[in-house]
Amino acid sequence: MAPSSPRPAWSRPSAARRAAAWVGRDGWRHLVMLVVLVFALFPILFVVSAALNPLGTLSSSSLVPRSVGADNLVELLTRTRFGAWYANSLLIALANSAATVFLSAMAAYVFSRFRFAGRRLGLYGLLMVQMFPQFLAIVAIYLMFSVVGEHWPQVGFNTRTGLLLVYLGGALSVNTWLMKGFFDTVPRELDESAQVDGASHAQVFFRILLPLVTPVLAVVGLLVFISTVNEFLIASVFLRDPGAKTVAVGLYGMVADQRDANFGMFSAGTLLLAIPVLAVFWYLQRYIVSGLTTGAVKG
Amino acid sequence: MFPLYAAGQWLGVGVVAAATALIFYVYLSRRAIPAKYLLPGTLLLVAFQIVPVVYTLSTSVTNYSDGHRGAKEQAVDQIEASSVVRTEDAAEYTLTVAARGPAATGELVFLLTAPDGTAYAGDAEGLTRLEGAEVGPTGRITEAPGYTVIPAGEANARSAEITKFAVPTGTGTGIRSSGFSSAYEGRSTRVYDAACDCVTDTETGRVYTADDERGAFVAGNGDRLAQGWQVNVGVANFTRFLTDPVTGTSFFGILAWNIAFAAVSTAGVFAVGLGVALTLHTPRRLAGRTAYRLLVVLPYAMPAFAMFLLWRSMFNTDFGLVNRLLGTDVDWFGEPWAARAAVLAINVWIGFPYMFLVATGALQSIPRELVQAARIDGAGAWQAFRSITLPLLMVAMAPILVATFAYNFNNFNAVWLTTAGGPFPPDNPMAGATDLLITYTYRLAFGVGGAQYGYAAALSVFIFLIVTLISLVSLRRSAALEEVHR
Amino acid sequence: MRIRRVGALAGTAALALAATACGGGAEGSGQDEATMVIWADPERTEVLQPFAEEFGSANGIRVEVREVAVDTIQADFVTAHESGTGPDVLVGAHDWIGNLVQNGAIDPVELPEDRLAAFDEAAVEAATYDGRLYGVPYAMENLALIRNTDLAPEAPESIEDMVATGTRLREDGEVEEALGLQVGQVGDPYHMQPFYTSAGGYLFGTDGEGGYDPADLGVGSPESVEAFERLADLGEEGQGVLKRSIDSENVAGLFERGETPYFITGPWSLGAVQEAGVPYDISPVPGFEDGEEASPFITVQAFFVASGSSNKVLAEEFVANYVADPELATALYEADPRPPALTEVLEEVSQDDPDVGKFIDAGENGQPMPAIPEMNAIWDPFGKAQAAVIGGEDPEQAVQTAAEAFRDESG
Repeated sequence: MAPSSPRPAWSRPSAARRAAAWVGRDGWRHLVMLVVLVFALFPILFVVSAALNPLGTLSSSSLVPRSVGADNLVELLTRTRFGAWYANSLLIALANSAATVFLSAMAAYVFSRFRFAGRRLGLYGLLMVQMFPQFLAIVAIYLMFSVVGEHWPQVGFNTRTGLLLVYLGGALSVNTWLMKGFFDTVPRELDESAQVDGASHAQVFFRILLPLVTPVLAVVGLLVFISTVNEFLIASVFLRDPGAKTVAVGLYGMVADQRDANFGMFSAGTLLLAIPVLAVFWYLQRYIVSGLTTGAVKG
Repeated sequence: MFPLYAAGQWLGVGVVAAATALIFYVYLSRRAIPAKYLLPGTLLLVAFQIVPVVYTLSTSVTNYSDGHRGAKEQAVDQIEASSVVRTEDAAEYTLTVAARGPAATGELVFLLTAPDGTAYAGDAEGLTRLEGAEVGPTGRITEAPGYTVIPAGEANARSAEITKFAVPTGTGTGIRSSGFSSAYEGRSTRVYDAACDCVTDTETGRVYTADDERGAFVAGNGDRLAQGWQVNVGVANFTRFLTDPVTGTSFFGILAWNIAFAAVSTAGVFAVGLGVALTLHTPRRLAGRTAYRLLVVLPYAMPAFAMFLLWRSMFNTDFGLVNRLLGTDVDWFGEPWAARAAVLAINVWIGFPYMFLVATGALQSIPRELVQAARIDGAGAWQAFRSITLPLLMVAMAPILVATFAYNFNNFNAVWLTTAGGPFPPDNPMAGATDLLITYTYRLAFGVGGAQYGYAAALSVFIFLIVTLISLVSLRRSAALEEVHR
Repeated sequence: MRIRRVGALAGTAALALAATACGGGAEGSGQDEATMVIWADPERTEVLQPFAEEFGSANGIRVEVREVAVDTIQADFVTAHESGTGPDVLVGAHDWIGNLVQNGAIDPVELPEDRLAAFDEAAVEAATYDGRLYGVPYAMENLALIRNTDLAPEAPESIEDMVATGTRLREDGEVEEALGLQVGQVGDPYHMQPFYTSAGGYLFGTDGEGGYDPADLGVGSPESVEAFERLADLGEEGQGVLKRSIDSENVAGLFERGETPYFITGPWSLGAVQEAGVPYDISPVPGFEDGEEASPFITVQAFFVASGSSNKVLAEEFVANYVADPELATALYEADPRPPALTEVLEEVSQDDPDVGKFIDAGENGQPMPAIPEMNAIWDPFGKAQAAVIGGEDPEQAVQTAAEAFRDESG
């Protein structure tokens, strides 16, 4: 990074100098990003290539498919109930990320601002629960929900509500730690002075702190959205009806069979699944980068 | 709560009542402010995470596994039910299920047509000739005086009765149904006797005695019946792991690599993620910033399991793109260190967008004024970053780094879907060079010998203890986490 | 005051949630229409649907076919059985039988003798476990050799013959690989079985009644060491015909692009080969010149009756008396061309499609894949031993290591 010390103004800067200045200011950023994008995107180009390749193989040896066509997409949309899966995925992911952000922010608020018995245990406990291998607990969840489903069929197997409940069991998690870290960066003086002015704890939370940590709410929302959309281990246990599946479960079914995995349809589905993720990110990124914090700290 | 009450599930009623009471108490009282915020998430956490974990851990002292899943009664039922053999050369009948009286409740009768066309009625007493029956085109009796023919749907509702029902035809033999349209004469060859707690095979005369320590019926010569049941085995699962010869020789190697894997993965995703976030973090307008952000997030938006498979084929020795691009001939998944490097590279690729997102958010919430003030005070860009940005960043990110470490410590898919733990030394197919504790124990518990949940639970207790210990030590040493202790 | 309001609000919401749960629960328990549920993997779900519906409407019951991913269906079925939420009928492979039986998850099926006789003998043998028939077979599959007739016009007489042709083509630069046989980093015993058996090896011996005997493990025997030596000779340090870098993901592509003349695979690959437009022919996997007959594994797809079914009369009727129907077998074949297990249907479809007959011929010397639970304990180390030997490790040590791992595991 070049130091931007004051320099004499040039009346007619040469092209080379302008280029040097460009590289010095922002050009290097573009160069770095170019390298990063190559690293980040070239495996994904294979997915695009497989989606366009009617033969349906995921070949890593050549980027250009031998023939190009929309067969996979057409097949995906006509032969499977992709539309229903898609709607399910979006619904569950949106509901889960909204609820998780809210539950997690509440917990992060008290972990950051209050001192109470069991606080430390709670924080460490959240980390430790995460360390338990999930594929083991799945049998217990299975047994549990077969009992639950007997009494309350609408939250049992094959219901989105039941699946959402299980996901919400993980609402307090690493995300809570993440949020707590952000709450910690907001100076305490802010809410203390508000409380002196007579604000209740709820007002401090909703009116003062939440707006200040909008970036992390957006980040957590996005992270949860992505992980929910991609989750298939629990979803595959829960959702069995062909119309009730999520995209991840449906896609996994296509490639689970090594012997006739259909990577073409799978890749087309994967790319379609990336669209809402990017849309959500595009929508949220204005919150992630909004200058709200600066203004608030000033005031 | 009503369905639980109706079903007499008093434990369930109690739990629901307690949870409801807790909700009322917390939200109606003025005190317990933290609880108001924590309760909803905590209740869900307890119900859908902690309870399953505790349940699983409780199976670590049992032999819960394939072949030992249910109760002894179920095993006995299943042994008897699957031991029915058809009598050699006996007649096969066409069956109509009927009842004396109403179809739903009347005494069951099998109306049978023998191959020669003779009609019989069979009940719990035995077979009698049936006169005056009407026989349909397929040979099935459609009507018979004195009997109500049970239609398929209603017969199905009485499945439990019908499948148990046998029309006695001699000692031990009876005519049983196979579906609702055919019947055969057969006999049960294995019989359970509660008096000796044993199963006798009437064909071979062999006696299998219940072994309540193993959860199986075992004969004198050591043969056992396939169907077993779940029993308590105490600490056997734990000692089995500790005395496993492979574990003895390879445990510390696996542990060391596991720690290195988690640490390097965490450092890698942090460095790349933060680097990218810093690159895009400038107060000035940066052309294409939104596009950059969107594209960088893409690896994270792809289903991870598919990306692991894709990377695996990119690292293929002869056909993979990596060797082709680099012009090398590395046997990536065949050489221990090459495999380790490959797994790490893949894992960084998968994980860095996550760190990028978190770092971007964290950078945004650091007041610009602080950095600007430092710069005005004469600090260079690097110095301002070191002394202002990074420390503030670490406050927000340190917990995430710990969590990322813990996550990667147990990152099953990253190894299982790429190298599957390999390469394996030629003298040991059970512990490979890239094995994490979790993949190693998964292989022990599920890869060989079916699904052994009890054993797996015992193994996860060990992993759990190790991870917890490591995390706690690193948390305690981390000054950035002093907030937790304040 | 304000605290109160927020608290009361949240409390009310929680109560409302609880209330909907309770109220709804009472409602839900009212509808109790019997539904027979069939689990199948994604390939077969769609095909079964119309037949399931026909069976349902004929018998006044709702029938649902649910698809479960192929790699989890067996474990899910056992867990679902345990929790009492399993299906009534399962569609799956015969080599699951051992595990399903030890978990008490399926019931034996009684087929009248005339109906049993309509099935291919090998299929019935495969679906028979411990002397009882546990499933009604509908399709069989085994490996065969598919060759690119442009590159290799004649079916090879022996492995040596095949290797010679393949190597010559590779040296001439016409192909990249001499042979398309998937190995992968952890080996693939299923695809290696014809070579292994032809070289004199066996996996499990058989007991008196034709079943496999877990006490007689062939891995570790002198024959298996000799067989592994032959594999090593074909391996990376030998003739370079068997390679770990050829795996399940790239092998089909190699053949479809004409980069290898030979492809050892099953009927599942045929569709893609035809689509790729490679001129091909099918012949049995050859054996070594002086060796035994190459004997591929035969796997049978079958219908099973779940022992935990609450609609067992119908489930039994469906499996024992309905799915043995030639029409259903034909439809299943058309949706997913694997050789049908009903002899009559098999003959019929072989006339229209000679490939089916060729696959069946290739399975002539086949052995059913062992269904005994002990298979789990040898499969993984056995595969790794093959991969190690192909990579150049010592055969004797690799074989003994695998045998030892099996003994450790099975106690």
